[in-house]
Amino acid sequence: ATEWNVSVWGKRRAFTEGIEKLAELVEEKTNGEFTMNVSYGGLSKNRENLDGISIGAFEMAQFCAGYHRDKNPSITVLELPFLGVKNLEQEVAVSNAVYSHPAVEKDLARWNAKLLMPSPMPQYNIVGTGEPRDTLEKFDGMRVRATGGIGQAFEAVGAVPTSVTATEAYNSMESGVVDTVAFAQHAHLSYRTIDIADWWTEDLNPGTVNCPVVVNIDAYNDLPDDQRKALDESVPEAIDFYVANYGKLLEKWDAILKEKDVKRVSFSDDEIAKFRKTAADPIREQWITDMTAQGLPAQELYDLVQKTLEEQSKTN
Amino acid sequence: MNDLIDMKALLDGVDVFNMSLWLTGALLVLVLIGVRVAFATALIGFLGLCLFFMQKQGFDKGLITAMKLAGQVPHSKSTTYSLSLIPTFILIGYLAYYAGLTGYLFEAAKRWVGWMPGGLGVATVFATAGFAAVSGASVATSAVFARIAIPEMLKLGYDKAFAAGVVAAGGTLASLIPPSAILVIYAIIVEQSVGALLLAGFLPGLVSALIYAGLIVGLAKWKKTLGPPVGGFTWKQRFASLPGASPIFVVVFIIIYSIYFGWATPTEAGALGAFVVLGMALWRGMRWGQLRGALMEAAKLTVMIFSMIWGVLIYVRFLGFARLPDAFASWIASLEQPAMLTLLAILGAYVILGMFMDAIGMLILTLPVTFPAVIALNGGEGVLRADSALGMTSQEVAIWFGIIVVKMAELCLITPPIGLNCFVVAGVAQDSKLPISVQDVFRGASPFFVADVATIGVLIAFPSIVLWLPSLM
Amino acid sequence: MSTSSVLEDGSTLSRLDRLWFRFESMLNLLSGIVIFALVGLAVYNVLARKFFNAPVPGYVDWTEQFMATFAFLGLAYCQREGGHIRMDILIGQLKGRLLWTAEALSTITMLVIVTALMYGAYFHFERSFDWGSPMWSRDSSIDVALPLWPAKFLIPFSMGVLWLRLALQLWGYLRAWAENTATPVAVPLIESAAEIANKEAHTVEGADE
Ligand code: NA
Ligand code: NA
Repeated sequence: ATEWNVSVWGKRRAFTEGIEKLAELVEEKTNGEFTMNVSYGGLSKNRENLDGISIGAFEMAQFCAGYHRDKNPSITVLELPFLGVKNLEQEVAVSNAVYSHPAVEKDLARWNAKLLMPSPMPQYNIVGTGEPRDTLEKFDGMRVRATGGIGQAFEAVGAVPTSVTATEAYNSMESGVVDTVAFAQHAHLSYRTIDIADWWTEDLNPGTVNCPVVVNIDAYNDLPDDQRKALDESVPEAIDFYVANYGKLLEKWDAILKEKDVKRVSFSDDEIAKFRKTAADPIREQWITDMTAQGLPAQELYDLVQKTLEEQSKTN
Repeated sequence: MNDLIDMKALLDGVDVFNMSLWLTGALLVLVLIGVRVAFATALIGFLGLCLFFMQKQGFDKGLITAMKLAGQVPHSKSTTYSLSLIPTFILIGYLAYYAGLTGYLFEAAKRWVGWMPGGLGVATVFATAGFAAVSGASVATSAVFARIAIPEMLKLGYDKAFAAGVVAAGGTLASLIPPSAILVIYAIIVEQSVGALLLAGFLPGLVSALIYAGLIVGLAKWKKTLGPPVGGFTWKQRFASLPGASPIFVVVFIIIYSIYFGWATPTEAGALGAFVVLGMALWRGMRWGQLRGALMEAAKLTVMIFSMIWGVLIYVRFLGFARLPDAFASWIASLEQPAMLTLLAILGAYVILGMFMDAIGMLILTLPVTFPAVIALNGGEGVLRADSALGMTSQEVAIWFGIIVVKMAELCLITPPIGLNCFVVAGVAQDSKLPISVQDVFRGASPFFVADVATIGVLIAFPSIVLWLPSLM
Repeated sequence: MSTSSVLEDGSTLSRLDRLWFRFESMLNLLSGIVIFALVGLAVYNVLARKFFNAPVPGYVDWTEQFMATFAFLGLAYCQREGGHIRMDILIGQLKGRLLWTAEALSTITMLVIVTALMYGAYFHFERSFDWGSPMWSRDSSIDVALPLWPAKFLIPFSMGVLWLRLALQLWGYLRAWAENTATPVAVPLIESAAEIANKEAHTVEGADE
């Protein structure tokens, strides 16, 4: 029998349902020969899950690329602002395309890690208090809690990225330390920022965070053939389950916006194009220059994302 | 793989879960025979990890995995933003002393409440409660008041044990009334909002102070020899005493104002308070030598606390792999008896453990196991108030249990044979050539044990005392 | 600053003890200064945000990186001063060679775990360090991508300083055993509760010195 330890963090939530489903499917398909213990924070801190994989402390883990850009430079392409991803299906498609690129595989192999599947997150739209900010001009001087690339994007149009922890986001917004907070929907719910929000940007779609599930390469290779096959075959099913389940949360989101009387703020195409031009283009150019200097096929990765998105839009 | 010893075969069939119980026993032995707590827990945690990984990967590879895993915990667990409050809270207490705040507070309290039976005792309690608003550590608070309050009480003919007991108990208020290092540590271990816990401690701190004061008045009335009232202060004298003590109010005002009006997050507000107190200390003539001394002491105490945190967390990391906390939690949840009875049994265990351990060590050692158990006892994560065993949501229980358990931990500072506050008070007294022994202090503090049990009873009966302020957040 | 609990004489051991103690004190003072500086940084962050809408970029990241200094640099200083918490009700009853044997064993226990941690923490540092990368960084912070290796390096470094301190103390205890003395040099002596408290009291007393 094979027993894998899986390191995730926080509480069981929509974000971890893909892994829970995977564990369930694998156990079923192998008649209990291959089981996974999913541990919520007991085995590692979230920012050190890659370290744990590299050490061989556990066999599977989830992490987010933006937690430590230097650990996984190649997949940060998926966190560039304004990639144009509109829904979870597209996020899955671009993630899978990037994950199977040889340069990306090599990047993660430094940690003895193999990318197994994405945990797609919706766009980090912002919630805010006071008058809705529905034009770029109104972003000027706005204090926003947004980290990494999304923070940089807002900075490019005059907003002020403000460093507070996620757990302090609610307090900070309530008291006015920050005006707005950028999160995915499930985080707006669990950190309660939605409770005090007056408005939410429904179509700004500034970017998101990419959070893959990885396995330890040796552990994966050591699996008996039938178990490896069961694992591989369960992945698409687990992702479908994840997307459907997160979809339910997004439906609930609409109801919550109504219930809490939060205004949906929409941006004109012109405004978004302007934002893209001021923020996204320079940040992308910079990213391509930096990553090329590190020996990554940066332009190729970016083009791969765009090509995949195009194909995805056609089939949909 | 040519291992030195065939560990896989040797350890085959050894149950890691049972082994974790044996190792926990070994840990208690190491602590009891005087190995420094931080390193004893780290060692046992490391040995547990060795066992776990040797069984899985063989001797050589398992040993290296265990070392690498244990070796990442110190950095990983120490560089967490909320823990940055701890040194700030420690430093602020030292600075407040140099700013002369203790003396002014005691004087003001004496003039306002000294007329009551046991008046100086009551004054001491209120002065320590006031000082608690700038001090984050109990032991330091008792130490500074022992120097100021005890000699005055003895001069007026107070019973020496009683006088010393008041100071030892009063110091514990510093850990409930924010700022409080131990509440931050609790919040970190159980992953709750630091701000919510600090707010939650405020009212229970006041309740505790009032119960102490009531007890003192009662005792002084019942036994006249304990301590006479001090009268004769005019209203003019009373108001004249306020300006000296006012910096406390300024600091408290700044902290509350800055949080409420969006100047600062709760974490940042602590730093604002420290900065104001530093300004006062400098203004009142603090010198480089004294500042250097305060920094050295704050750094030493900080590294001591952080070592305990990562040492215990290495042990906890092993428990995570052995899945002991889960097992204990499901065992507690499966008990067929009223939840309150189980909770009282857990608290009873804390009283016994607290006789022998210091407060912070006891909390970080036990919480990883008891906290999930209490959450499970209440009905698990995300339980509705109506379905819960204790009538609270899991988040409310997390905050409420934090205050109760910190109060328990503070209780252990005044219980023999190991009671840090009592040691400190006796030490200061002997240093000032006062005839007070450690036994005297423990004897004097014993009524406050009863008061603390009463306080805990009140907090269990009326959880809203704990939960009301955080609910406004 | 009180050093009263460690005795001194002219021996090589005692000279090494004092020399190393100077270094440890310097590190401890450095971490005290960082505590102080972080209070300053927090205040600056609040004021700059309030009045100029210009908070410190990556304030949380910076704070976390600097925390490694005060969490570790004073490790050996604290050990030299006997500051790490322990229970001495049992060991406090022992006298003479029995006591020095117990202390030596306790020190060896510490040496074992510190050796393991030094090794493990070094690899934690090494995983975050890469000669070929910009700023030698292979691991960075979440918001403004600060390299993590300098903070991670402090842990094996501080453990190393502590390791040497423990080795000196082991030497001290073994010498105490050989000489069968009640007053050995270079090791923290068990103090009575009253003595500990005296020290505690002195540290907050400086105001009238
Ligand atoms: Na306090
Ligand atoms: Na005790």
